[in-house]
Amino acid sequence: MVDAALHVEGLSVAYATRAGWLKALDGVSLSIPPGGVLGLVGESGSGKSTVVLALLGLLGPSARVDAQRLDFDGHDLLHNAASIRGRRVGVVFQDAAASLNPALTIGTQVIEPMRTHLHTERRAAWTRGTELLDEMGIPRPAEVMHSYPHQLSGGMKQRVGIATALASEPDLLLLDEPTTALDVTIEAQILSLLDELRKRRNLAMLLVSHNLGIVDRLCDSVSVLYAGRLAESGTTSAVLHHPRHPYTKGLLAALPRPDRPHAGRLAPIPGGLPDLHTLDPGCNFRPRCAFAAEGCEQPQTSHGADHTVSCHRVEEVADLSWPIEAAPTATVSTKRTALPLLEAETMSARFDSGGWLARLLGKAGGVLAVDRVSLSIRTGEVVGLVGESGCGKSTLGRLLLRLLPARTGTLRFGGGVVEAQADRDFRRRAQVVFQNPDTSLNPRQTVSVILQRAVQWFAMAHGTAAVAAEIDRLLDLVRLPRHYASRYPHQLSGGEKQRVGIARALASRPEFLVCDEAVSALDVSVQAAILNLLRDLRDELGVAYLFISHDIGVIAHIADRVAVMYHGTIVEEGPVEDVLHPPYHPYTELLLSSVPLIGKGRRPSPAQSTTAAKPVTGGCKFAARCSRRVGQICDSVTPPLQQAGPGHTILCHIPLLELAAMPHWLGQQALSEEPTP
Amino acid sequence: MHMAAFLLKRIAGLLGVLLGMSVLIFGIVHILPGNVAYAILGEFASPAAIATLEAKLGLNDPLPVQYWRWLSAMLQGDFGMSLVMSRPAAPLIAEALGRSALLAGFSFALIAAGGIALGLYAATHHGRTSDKVLTLAQFVLIAVPEFFWAILAVLFFASWMNLLPATGYAPMSSGVASWAAHLVLPVMVLSFGLVAHVSRLTRSSMLEVLDSRYVLAARARGLPEGRVLWRHALPNALLPAITVLAIDAGLLIGGIVVVETVFAYPGLGRLLVFAIERHDLPLLQVGMMVVTAVYAVANLIAELLYAMLNPRIRVAGATA
Repeated sequence: MVDAALHVEGLSVAYATRAGWLKALDGVSLSIPPGGVLGLVGESGSGKSTVVLALLGLLGPSARVDAQRLDFDGHDLLHNAASIRGRRVGVVFQDAAASLNPALTIGTQVIEPMRTHLHTERRAAWTRGTELLDEMGIPRPAEVMHSYPHQLSGGMKQRVGIATALASEPDLLLLDEPTTALDVTIEAQILSLLDELRKRRNLAMLLVSHNLGIVDRLCDSVSVLYAGRLAESGTTSAVLHHPRHPYTKGLLAALPRPDRPHAGRLAPIPGGLPDLHTLDPGCNFRPRCAFAAEGCEQPQTSHGADHTVSCHRVEEVADLSWPIEAAPTATVSTKRTALPLLEAETMSARFDSGGWLARLLGKAGGVLAVDRVSLSIRTGEVVGLVGESGCGKSTLGRLLLRLLPARTGTLRFGGGVVEAQADRDFRRRAQVVFQNPDTSLNPRQTVSVILQRAVQWFAMAHGTAAVAAEIDRLLDLVRLPRHYASRYPHQLSGGEKQRVGIARALASRPEFLVCDEAVSALDVSVQAAILNLLRDLRDELGVAYLFISHDIGVIAHIADRVAVMYHGTIVEEGPVEDVLHPPYHPYTELLLSSVPLIGKGRRPSPAQSTTAAKPVTGGCKFAARCSRRVGQICDSVTPPLQQAGPGHTILCHIPLLELAAMPHWLGQQALSEEPTP
Repeated sequence: MHMAAFLLKRIAGLLGVLLGMSVLIFGIVHILPGNVAYAILGEFASPAAIATLEAKLGLNDPLPVQYWRWLSAMLQGDFGMSLVMSRPAAPLIAEALGRSALLAGFSFALIAAGGIALGLYAATHHGRTSDKVLTLAQFVLIAVPEFFWAILAVLFFASWMNLLPATGYAPMSSGVASWAAHLVLPVMVLSFGLVAHVSRLTRSSMLEVLDSRYVLAARARGLPEGRVLWRHALPNALLPAITVLAIDAGLLIGGIVVVETVFAYPGLGRLLVFAIERHDLPLLQVGMMVVTAVYAVANLIAELLYAMLNPRIRVAGATA
């Protein structure tokens, strides 16, 4: 490649560990031309972040770095990264909240690079810093310069993070999962900002991400990393739209997509990352590859010039797609009925803030986390609950389980009223699966003990033999080998831990499960397997789910009905196909338009205000952020609940006809295929 | 929350703690065998004489009445009389407190400066030989109790080397050199264990901060290492150290009792031991109240310092 800004050839990194050298990267080559954007994708543990730290020379003394070539615009980064680190190469890390020093003002941190590298006089740097914040779209920049990080929202912090990276006018920006911790709407704003910056400043960027959608949105070319080696690289459209490496094919097939609701079963990639202590000279994806055959153990080589693929069978697999996981042969007992299993009526939850002194002075504040929400779920039905963080999704889930005291409202389950102090029968029939299996499983108990406690607590089996049989049944249900019963949580992979979490929830043979971001912490290949499992369990056992997720793709894949929540209120509810297409609530539209879809390209999202305005009381809560507000009525009058179709309601002042005329953000594809049993 | 409201709340809390402690101290002292009348008249006094004195001193009144009398007198500035020395308790305590404060002040300064400095040194030399030697020394210092160091120090510096006086206190009027020489050993012994304690904690909190994302981000910005350490890492690493220094102020007061006894140093600790031995209950009560107040104020100061260093407490969060 001519005139590349960044040149990486044969980069290898090994960390010293107790078990020997851990080879995090093995012969990785990348290049980025001036003003070009390269996406580096891969699952956790693939070595993405190691590339970033290697480019910065910040791997620390325990790492051994090796490369044939590692330079940026003539500067040797292998031996002397410190000379241009932070000056010509800027970096934005994933967690903006953790990357800003809590004890220093925003201004201090923004002007630091200018003071250090450009030797700008302090007052001039401050002025320039204020301008930078303004350029990043931060409202009231002069004020923000004097603020501390904790006074800003997550999206604003990430804008500050970008501003500090750009303060010394770098030519290359390294972005390590820059939007992963953010809501999809904020993510869309940050992506447009980055897109704008690269055009305006001719910045070269390296975008490290596990999210293929944002890579498609922002990058010219893509490199796919698997267990420290490059699997495939080429232009974005070549790699993401016509993938040739089995791993890339697998990643794309595992992705639940909001534009394909109920799209049958997903295609997970079985197994996990290979042990990086002993390098496999052959193809390292071979143990997990659906197309592996004789000859794959030969030393790995890359094929192709512009679109390189390191697969021995690249020609043979060219037209094959990753196989979809076979459905279990178990009997399907679809006992879906029209009768509601769970009915919540005008339930509210409020969190008070302020201590005894504030209460004494009458200054106690609080938030109405859930504001008179009514929701019903039928037997065997999956209701998805989406919304941004802090909208009250999890709180509502806990209200429906009576795990939190409700301020108002009633809860009915299976025909009877559930009192505020739920009895054991309700606890048995309604269970929960949490987001993080690492913290929800006791590390000191074996899988068998974890399950046994749940079985015995609900008296599902008596006697040692019966309990053991019940544990076997649960492990079978979640497709774990029976000998896993004697393992401890740390001996399980993330997906296996989550299977144990599900098995524990199923121990009491519940009729209703709240899945609170149950797949959000998992890699996409594992997430696909868990989503398939949850769907099978619904079909086999007739369990109803409240499926809480911020990921619209996941919701579209698994849910029958969707409820969209904003600031404690359900603004839209209906069958998943109806909610994903107009007419929809302006907030639903904002969410859908923000989702980075593969193949959507660089379509601009609708305008939205960057400030998280406090919702007004009285009117529509979304009015302050709504780009389609009608007028004064939005601020003062509670919007009416409009019937957009059978079982499809929208809480908005805008007439239905107008809502129906909104753009189809997910594209007008054939609506849905019925889930194939 | 405003700083003023914060301060107001803390001071209200402080007064509450003092009030609670006064009840506790009064209660404990009255559980001890014997009362003031016995103490004044001696073991061989006739029961009739004791009864008369008890009535005169109001010792037959119900405990709450006695407590109220004691508390209201204290609030009016009357701290009672020392029975054994037949002198007002206030000047006795003030004099002893002054000498103890001298001891505590020097020790605390040494603990804070030495502990934090050693901790930072160990953290920035993490994994090297100097860090390992320091770690070993710290464990030894923490594990071995003060009285052992006291005896060892007296043996070494006073008996063998004849460098420093073994015991006692010399007023400033007898010369600065003599005054200082009398302070060296007690201060040293008092600080040893706590310096180790503070430096252990500073080391681990500094290591944690050095491992944080924002320090990595600061380095990625290409800032010089000095600025990363002093401006980015240190203020955050000091927060837990301050909390521990406040707790150590309490340990210091406990240590003073031991050290003053071993070195025959006429401070508050020794006065308290004396009051316990001689059943000087009024003196004991007031002395314990003073110790409580000192500890509570030390904690208040630590909390204010913490708030000053930590903007998350000082500046209310706003959703911007």
